[in-house]
Amino acid sequence: MAIVSAFLMPGNPLPFLQRGNPPWGAIAAGADRAAAALAASKPDVLLIYSTQWIAVLDELWQTRPHSTGLHVDENWYEYGDLTMNVRADVDLAKACIAAASAAGIRSKAVDYDQFPIDSGTIVANGFLNPDASIPAVIAANNLYHDFAGTEHLGRIAAEQAALQGKRAAVIAVGGLSASYFDHDINIAEDRIFDDAADSANRALLDAMTQGSDALQAALPDFNCATKGDMGMKHLGWVLGATGGFTGATVHSYGPTYGAGAAVVEFHL
Amino acid sequence: MAQGKIVAGFVAPHPPHLVYAENPPQNEPKAEGGWEPLRWAYEKARKSIEELKPDVLLVHSPHWMTLVGHHFLGVPRLSGKSVDPIFPNLFRYDFDMAVDVDLAEACCAEAQGLGLTAKMMRNPNFRVDYGTITTLHMIRPQWDIPVVGISANNSPYYLNIDEGTAQMETLGEATRRAIEKSGKRAVLLASNTFSHYHFHEEPDTPEDMSKEHPQNYHGYKWDMRMIELMRKGQIREVMRLFPEWVEEAFAEVKSGAFPWMVSAMGYPDVPAELHGYGTVIGTGNAVMEWRLAA
Repeated sequence: MAIVSAFLMPGNPLPFLQRGNPPWGAIAAGADRAAAALAASKPDVLLIYSTQWIAVLDELWQTRPHSTGLHVDENWYEYGDLTMNVRADVDLAKACIAAASAAGIRSKAVDYDQFPIDSGTIVANGFLNPDASIPAVIAANNLYHDFAGTEHLGRIAAEQAALQGKRAAVIAVGGLSASYFDHDINIAEDRIFDDAADSANRALLDAMTQGSDALQAALPDFNCATKGDMGMKHLGWVLGATGGFTGATVHSYGPTYGAGAAVVEFHL
Repeated sequence: MAQGKIVAGFVAPHPPHLVYAENPPQNEPKAEGGWEPLRWAYEKARKSIEELKPDVLLVHSPHWMTLVGHHFLGVPRLSGKSVDPIFPNLFRYDFDMAVDVDLAEACCAEAQGLGLTAKMMRNPNFRVDYGTITTLHMIRPQWDIPVVGISANNSPYYLNIDEGTAQMETLGEATRRAIEKSGKRAVLLASNTFSHYHFHEEPDTPEDMSKEHPQNYHGYKWDMRMIELMRKGQIREVMRLFPEWVEEAFAEVKSGAFPWMVSAMGYPDVPAELHGYGTVIGTGNAVMEWRLAA
């Protein structure tokens, strides 16, 4: 495998937009440490999967060479605008489309001016790759794919990167516990929604530090204890693309309007 | 000032395929046609709008999904290009809409007064969702009537169907109060598909109607049962069955536009007029009208 680093990044834009707010600033500080680790791994390409890029027909892959423009999150618009600056590794994305289609996962390229790249991808790329100097392969979250199917997609992306001789960093964009506050809160006092979600998040993060086998063993308990973000399929992307990891460093963990968010660097 | 009133409510579904198939100048992709029965249904709805001469169109869209409360567009003019994140091959539409901010603010205040979390969206760079745009284009392609855009709060999914629907009905009550105080003639648009079972792969030619039919027979039967009740004016029975319909037909009405609209209209017992029904990628779509005033 040509995987040189792997990370879990939160998709909620609040830590990126409002790092001056202490609970969110702590998450952002962890993202800064992840950015340094990513740079040290010298990847040629980022393999990004975001739970927030929703697909329902076919699997979609971003192939616009350079996506730019303003993006306003549909929920968190009052906290500021996001700037899209994302470059695609078009050759590798097209190889992924061909390989996924050959594997029975009907796939399509997305190459449209002003396509609304999701907040999660913009934020993760903004933290880790702010000048967009590293191109990316970005895969959508097809709602009808399960965890195992997403592992398969991750594996396909990594295999194609290896075939092209590229050093790849795996970026899984998504949250932990998904329960959130559905009313206005004092953002300075943001916290995980409840103790059950907090405990489940901490147990899952602890499992990550013990390696991929421990993570896989812990996921059923996590999913029983709390509602995870999109079935935690973004972790399937990590497992599939890396083929497993030996441990992890949790760079930060905290709330995003009650939902769990963490920045994690996986050890390969 | 005369009391404002809701002159009509429409179920006005938002598959972007309908805009694509019509080939309006605002939309970049071009089609060979397709989904004609639904587009002809919208032609009838457009004639109704012409007759009703409303001052404002209010649309509740499931594709502006908000987590914290019910949101209202609050910028006087919004424009830009809307590229559908799910169907970018079909919908890349240059929109330019005038927003009735005064009425939106009034609806928001009434909603807050009734205990809902409600907010005004004031960011001028906000890109309006494709559900709102599709419904508005299909009902009034001239874009010459101001709009109130309302988000779909996630409560029916996050809480449960009963609590979520209750919130939407309260939002409908708030909307009616605001309209009555405004002195305006208002049309409500529930931007919802009915049965939402759909195919998972797109034909090579999206408008190839030889591929179009209900994806799920059970969902289709539910749609027909509910449409028949609506045509008979039995809206209370529709709402009694609503949770079952949502569950068994995977109906998109769960997201709230339909209960919002019928609550705002006071659960009318006038028969609804079915302008047409058709499927889009297998989902069930009805264009229906409740005429409440001349």
